Amino acid sequence: MTHCLRLSSLLILCWAAGCKAPYKALQPVASAGVHTALQYKPLFDKELYRCVVEGKFLLKSFRLSGLLLLKHLPDSSTRVVFQNEIGFSFFDFGWNKQDDFTVHHIIPQLDKPAVIRTLEKDLRLLLMKRLDTATEKHFIKDYSLYHQFPLEQGSVYYIESNNTLSGIEHAGKRKTVTTITIAGKETAQALPDTIFFQHHKAHFTIQLHKIIRHATE
Amino acid sequence: MRKILTVVIFSCLAIMAQAQSKGYTPLKNTDAFRQALNQANASKESVVSDFTQTKHLSLLEDKITSKGQFFFKKENRIRIAYTEPYTYLLVMNGEEILVQDEQKTSRISTRNSKIMQSVNRIIIDCMSGNVLRNPDFSVAALESNNAYLLSLTPATDAMKKMFSRIDVYLDRKHFDVTRLTMTETGGDFTDMDFKNIRHNTPLNDALFKVK
Repeated sequence: MTHCLRLSSLLILCWAAGCKAPYKALQPVASAGVHTALQYKPLFDKELYRCVVEGKFLLKSFRLSGLLLLKHLPDSSTRVVFQNEIGFSFFDFGWNKQDDFTVHHIIPQLDKPAVIRTLEKDLRLLLMKRLDTATEKHFIKDYSLYHQFPLEQGSVYYIESNNTLSGIEHAGKRKTVTTITIAGKETAQALPDTIFFQHHKAHFTIQLHKIIRHATE
Repeated sequence: MRKILTVVIFSCLAIMAQAQSKGYTPLKNTDAFRQALNQANASKESVVSDFTQTKHLSLLEDKITSKGQFFFKKENRIRIAYTEPYTYLLVMNGEEILVQDEQKTSRISTRNSKIMQSVNRIIIDCMSGNVLRNPDFSVAALESNNAYLLSLTPATDAMKKMFSRIDVYLDRKHFDVTRLTMTETGGDFTDMDFKNIRHNTPLNDALFKVK
């Protein structure tokens, strides 16, 4: 019995050590001479993604699928519209030139402050909005360069490996809140072909796969 | 999940909108129209067609287009299969519904949800041309030289939150639904145009299998 307890304690300690403070191993790098993460800020006219949102809320599973349209407008504002396959809009978000956020439309089922806040944050981090290079810090870990920007809550890391942006992490005080894995960036400023948002606290994921043939004007 | 599916399914009614009622005038003889519609529907055991769906985003001047095939089999079976630029399947068979995307299949029964029952019924009514009998909408019947237009205004609060109007266009000759239009409360609208409409093609029941 004692042996069993010791073993479980050890396992808990190992788990805790592995889980907490994932950013403790980051080694600071002097920012002078290091380029900014904003060189990866997406530049696009419009992109259409296949989108699947999956998760659990109050022990019930949910799943939403549809299309996500990202559009950059001539007045330098950005719109993101999520609709289902059959054409019904779930939400329509916008940011103006100053990156101020507006909800143009959202269905009642999603119209909850926490939901809007989370979706806005996900998209804002992906689109690299409201980031100030004056506050940018740099770290290195496992041959990857971490660009850190402070957020209202926690901070965001843009992770660069092999001279390309490989991921984005929203870090809380101790743990990672959201991991955004990206793949298939044609150029430094292109939106990736695939994007995977994993919310570690809220327990839901968002998968995006770029659709090549898409919207017509 | 049920609420979300309701939105998904209900939006199936989607389809084109905006004062397409131009050139349409109120129907002069509603009884004669109703009789002719019933007669035409009585002779259709099944309907198969191709469709093109176009979502109009009012503020962005953008359109999102998709294509697929539509199947209807009496009395209450519908299959809508999107094939471009993504695959997505919606099957309605009586009280049961199946939704399938590239990764997952979901099944739902409308038995315990009044909203889902309404949704199920309006879709089938639209596709089969029986919308005049639907109690969840007030219907205005109009006509032009080439077509009839049934303009549906939601009568229940749940549907009013989603749509401002649904328009069903029928050709005068065969009373086929040639276009469905859903106008959302925010002003965006979706058109579903039906082409290559065939009647009474033998359809295997497996197409409408939901279990």
